[in-house]
Amino acid sequence: MPDSQLVNIVINGRPLTVPKGEMIIEAARRIGIEIPHFCYHPRLSKETGANCRMCLVEVSMPRRGPDGTVTLAKMPKPQTSCSLPADEGMVIETETPAIVEARRGILEFLLINHPLDCPICDRGGECPLQNNTLHYGPPTTRFVEEKRHLPKAYPLSQHVVLDRERCIHCARCTRFAADISGDAQLGFLKRGADMEVSAYHETEFTSLFSGNVIELCPVGALLSRDYRFRARPWDLATQKSICTECSNGCNIKLDHRAGKLVRVNARVNEVVNEEWTCDRGKFGMGHISSEDRIRRPLIREGDAFREATWEEALSLVEQRLREAGASTAFLGGSLSSNEDLYVLQRLWREVLGSPHLDHRMGPSFARNVDRIRVLGHTGVVRSISDLEKKRTIVVFGSDLAVEQPIVYLRVRKAWNRHDARVIEIQPASLRSPGHSNRVADFASVSARYDPAERVGAAWDLLRTAVEQRLVENSALPNMVVGKLDTAPTCSVISALSSILLEPPVAVLVGADAVRSMDMMDVLEPLGALAQALGDAWTIAVPASKVNEQGARDLGILPDTVPGGSPSATFGFNSHEILESAGKGNVSVLWVSGLDVAQEYHDPAFAARNLEQAPFVVFSGMHLHATARMANVVLPVCSVAECDGTYTNVEGRVQRFYKAYEPSLDVREEWRIASNLAARLGCPMAYVTWRDVLAEIAAKVPIHRGCTPDRLAGEGVLREEPVLTGATKP
Amino acid sequence: MGERLVLLEHRNLPGADTLAVYESISGYEGLRKALVMEPRAVIEEIKKSGLQGRGGAGFPTWIKWQGVLSNPPGERYVICNADEGEPGTFKDRELMLRLPHMVVEGIIIAGYATQAHTGYIYIRGEFTEPARAVRRAIDEAYEEGYLGDSVAGSGFRFDLNVHLGAGSYECGEETALMSSLMGERGQPRAKPPHAPLPVVAGLWSKPTLINNVETYACVPHILRRGGEWYASMGTERAKGTKIFSVSGHIRKPGNYEIELGTPLMELIELAGGVDGQLKAVIPGGSSVPILPASRCADVKLDYDSCRAAGTMLGSGGFMVFNETTDIVKLMAVTARFYAHESCGKCTPCREGTRWMSKIFDRILRGNGRPEDPDLLISICNNIDGRSYCPLGDAAAWPIRASVQHFRHEYEYWIQHGESPLGPHSVPRLTRDSHA
Amino acid sequence: MTVASEYKKGRFSEAALKELEEIASHYPERKAAMLPALWIAQREYGGQLTAEAIEEVARLLGRPTVEVEGVASFYTMYNLGKRGKRHLEVCTCLTCAVLGASEVVRKLEERLGIEVGQTTADGEFSLAEAECLNWCEAGTVVQVGSKYFGNVTPENVDQLLEEVLRTEETTGVGQADTVVKVHLGRRRERARHTGEGDSTNG
Ligand SMILES: Cc1cc2nc3c(=O)[nH]c(=O)nc-3n(C[C@H](O)[C@H](O)[C@H](O)COP(=O)(O)O)c2cc1C
Ligand code: SF4
Ligand code: FES
Repeated sequence: MPDSQLVNIVINGRPLTVPKGEMIIEAARRIGIEIPHFCYHPRLSKETGANCRMCLVEVSMPRRGPDGTVTLAKMPKPQTSCSLPADEGMVIETETPAIVEARRGILEFLLINHPLDCPICDRGGECPLQNNTLHYGPPTTRFVEEKRHLPKAYPLSQHVVLDRERCIHCARCTRFAADISGDAQLGFLKRGADMEVSAYHETEFTSLFSGNVIELCPVGALLSRDYRFRARPWDLATQKSICTECSNGCNIKLDHRAGKLVRVNARVNEVVNEEWTCDRGKFGMGHISSEDRIRRPLIREGDAFREATWEEALSLVEQRLREAGASTAFLGGSLSSNEDLYVLQRLWREVLGSPHLDHRMGPSFARNVDRIRVLGHTGVVRSISDLEKKRTIVVFGSDLAVEQPIVYLRVRKAWNRHDARVIEIQPASLRSPGHSNRVADFASVSARYDPAERVGAAWDLLRTAVEQRLVENSALPNMVVGKLDTAPTCSVISALSSILLEPPVAVLVGADAVRSMDMMDVLEPLGALAQALGDAWTIAVPASKVNEQGARDLGILPDTVPGGSPSATFGFNSHEILESAGKGNVSVLWVSGLDVAQEYHDPAFAARNLEQAPFVVFSGMHLHATARMANVVLPVCSVAECDGTYTNVEGRVQRFYKAYEPSLDVREEWRIASNLAARLGCPMAYVTWRDVLAEIAAKVPIHRGCTPDRLAGEGVLREEPVLTGATKP
Repeated sequence: MGERLVLLEHRNLPGADTLAVYESISGYEGLRKALVMEPRAVIEEIKKSGLQGRGGAGFPTWIKWQGVLSNPPGERYVICNADEGEPGTFKDRELMLRLPHMVVEGIIIAGYATQAHTGYIYIRGEFTEPARAVRRAIDEAYEEGYLGDSVAGSGFRFDLNVHLGAGSYECGEETALMSSLMGERGQPRAKPPHAPLPVVAGLWSKPTLINNVETYACVPHILRRGGEWYASMGTERAKGTKIFSVSGHIRKPGNYEIELGTPLMELIELAGGVDGQLKAVIPGGSSVPILPASRCADVKLDYDSCRAAGTMLGSGGFMVFNETTDIVKLMAVTARFYAHESCGKCTPCREGTRWMSKIFDRILRGNGRPEDPDLLISICNNIDGRSYCPLGDAAAWPIRASVQHFRHEYEYWIQHGESPLGPHSVPRLTRDSHA
Repeated sequence: MTVASEYKKGRFSEAALKELEEIASHYPERKAAMLPALWIAQREYGGQLTAEAIEEVARLLGRPTVEVEGVASFYTMYNLGKRGKRHLEVCTCLTCAVLGASEVVRKLEERLGIEVGQTTADGEFSLAEAECLNWCEAGTVVQVGSKYFGNVTPENVDQLLEEVLRTEETTGVGQADTVVKVHLGRRRERARHTGEGDSTNG
């Protein structure tokens, strides 16, 4: 680990100052020297590294003689720069004849058993082995023996194939599984030249993060089953984007060709996903180029849809909205961009005069103000990367790796690299989650509650904190203190008695609690604790859909305007919207993105009411069950077909970029909304998405800093709303 | 000079493996003496003796002990390396089998001198007989209070555990041994300048002393009779005695303990002389360069003299080869050994050893190519100094030396597709090593 | 309530589990009992490290199965399931090789009717070549389980086979048992001497 002390070293005659302990391979990068390597990866443990031997350098160390004079003593053997910590006075040479020779030798060794099937290898064109061979390799082969033969293409997981003949034994994939994702399902079997990478008995690698090994592999041994033989890297164009498959907001690269997504790779964002993705994102975005995208507007005629022009569709919607006025409602939106949501809610609040907007799928529809009052904030993670600074992390009611994959990796890193203590308090159903990325594998305490005991479990956590004098009664709201003795308790209390809640603490509350009627009862004790401890404690009720947090922040709620302040009039929540639509009291129901008929907590209720609703507009990409119930279907752009921003689980506003022109007749939702506003007599002056972005930054206080230039890097953590109405009860 | 029996003096005494008999030959006196000394003074005695590691590298023993002792207080470990796997070596086997208490006593003294309370003796898994003898000795030592909560009533606590390997030469390398002892694949761990020495962070990242069986066996004698007495044997720069395991074409194979610096030819005489005519000697186990007979005359068996002759003292696995020995076939066996034992972690050793072995197979099938001798040397050069641990070097040195000294035999094989020594030459091979 | 590990009942006997716990107590970390645990498993599973054996070790030590398989397959002595009841290993390393190990191998092949690397049809014998067994003074050396045979020649191979057949020990179980037993000591006795042991002892 580099520390704060600086040391002076010399690399190829150039003096430089670097943190003591920084690996020489990294130090060299500072002055533009790239030392060739295979096994080294800055995020993987050094413990099992330094095995490829490609990064050898010559090293001299200062030695003080008995008379005090310092001489340089050259080490007899070259050393691997990837594992060599910088120390005062070290002198490094990276390009001597001996080193050039050594590299050539190593490359020759790596190539003798390599099949050299580059022309049919998916890695061809972006292969470190191929590239290094070109630069540093031997001109011809001296190997005339039989090469190693192993079965080709062993399907390692649902997404990854392993070609062991190409493997160079760098241990990157095994280290990833052991250190980062923690499922430890990959390992080396046998030894010597027979050594091979495998999952146990060639069983399936069931990691939720298996795709990362494809990018980590410095050769074409681990490849994507989806992408296999589909394209060559040099045929692909690439664009920066944000993963849309959950709320973590992983930064990704979309590789595309001819207006279609071909593959997803990770893009570095140190404060979000570092350079990882999860399989759901990496392999789950294919739907944006799937055949079942809605190609043009549809209008229901009897039991079927007919294709329509935008003019036709929009004038029909315009006419219905005009007639309905305030008796319109908006449901969904957590898949739309901030720009879409902002303009849509303007259409509702300012043009139609309707306060009926909600993105939540239930079952709890607690008022946002109440929620903020209880939690002290809107319940974001605040900062994924700050989880590394926590001493204690409590995971409450969450299959974290499924619900918040990247948050899971950060929690594991906090434990693995920074010795944070992890405690999980989970529903009994999580005993065997059916995947291998379990918090239980590294938690110091795993407590299980019965669904009926959920609230008691939350109170038990508060009681433990009180008992440990982490918080004084006087710092808690009277109401909460009053309930300490009477509120339910459960068996969790005894499991917690053995552990110390060392601050700073973070509590991550997941779906089991959030997706229950008990949500507010669970949050009451936890929120009180969070507020009593201030910054030493964080509580997060993380969003799950890609822009659920954006929908929360930008007023897709019946009681909150953009920025988090309570609205003047309170509208219907999702339940009331659906109910009223079913009864015909809402004459136009607009559903955006979500398949409400499936994703609503009570799907039958949702389906029944959607069925009975007088007029349903759907805007989205796919013709799912809900879309099929619509009267008008408006196809929208995918994340690859437009620009915009999403707000991730920690409240970070991040930019995605248009990768290609849509080949379908689709539009951005904000354009649709502003077009309708104009048709309804209230034109909005937006020409491009930037105009919307600028207006949000100007008008929504919490989005103040979200200007295009600032969004270019790691994104911007939007501010927390200041609640005027939220005081200590 | 003849034999100089210190460690092996009582090798044939019946019951020398039992505590009672061992005590009757002054056993555990060294320990009793040590226990009333300051740990630092014990190390001082070892320093005076000039004892160097007998496991192969010849590193001054006291420096390691000092290194462990000078750590801040805390858990620390002592390991006895009884993985004896170097081809041609069988001295540790005999010490454990016949004189296990001597080894145990040496380990306890080392524990006291370094203030460690736990020791492990890592014995190769194949050595079940020697391991049983060591087990019995440890049990007896516990019963008699030489191990346990108060060693010989001194109040010093020391526990000694036996841990067996499961078949891997690489586990004799000290960091790989630690991996194996910690329950992992026997692959080596980082060392300076990449990571601290084992004496600072070894087993479970705690200060760890590791020495060879024979090194420990010397310790009771040094304590009992004094470092100066021990240093009076051997040469100026290689003190004391060393056990050589003599095997091959020799009339009386076995272990011979001689003073360091004894002429090589004298050892051959001691062991009854060559069975046939001397062709070559590998003096220190398969990992050291082979010495053709022509170079044997002036060599003395100490570190410097061996080095000057282009070979090494190594582990003392002294193999003698007569005129019927076909060097190419001998080296094919050597190459196969290293390819089989390479742990696979690093590129040069994993790929280079297997490649060389395949080249030997091809030559012996009669398909040698004129460029093969140089190719072998080049592969050796590409392994030497670039592997993660010294196993790679150990594979390269003997093969490179054999090409240098016996190139004509390689050329004969390549030209004629058969042995220059005819069909009765040895070793006879069973089959291709990697058919 | 802490998660109870949902152990599938394995084939480790009560005595074997006790052995494992005693051995594990020798180390500050449970993982260090890996090699001995695999030996116990080989014995408990009838001389072979089957998949179930590896899984049981993984469960008992709390380690990933692939890690246990990786360890088991690294070392040459564990029987991953191909060997006969009596596994003969002939050292064919340097000294033994020059002293005629290949003749011993040929003779054994002839007598057993199998080649190196094979097992007899009745599963009784298997034959292998070994790297240095480090008793070179007695070359050619043959190892059968926990026994070493020295100075083996083609002439005395039959004698060797007879002796091997006379012993009850089968390699996979016998060797494993010997190795396990060597790990187990009389450390308990120590308590009696220092007077702080449990009173039932006195
Ligand atoms: C591949 C390899 C195998 C080794 N095998 C052994 C061995 O079997 N026994 C041993 O004592 N040392 C062996 N060593 C040397 C050890 O690494 C280490 O130097 C030795 O145990 C230190 O003890 P000493 O100082 O008492 O000699 C081996 C080294 C290498 C590189
Ligand atoms: S040199 Fe490399 S492959 Fe060989 S044993 Fe050492 S680390 Fe393993
Ligand atoms: S990058 Fe340094 S050894 Fe592989």
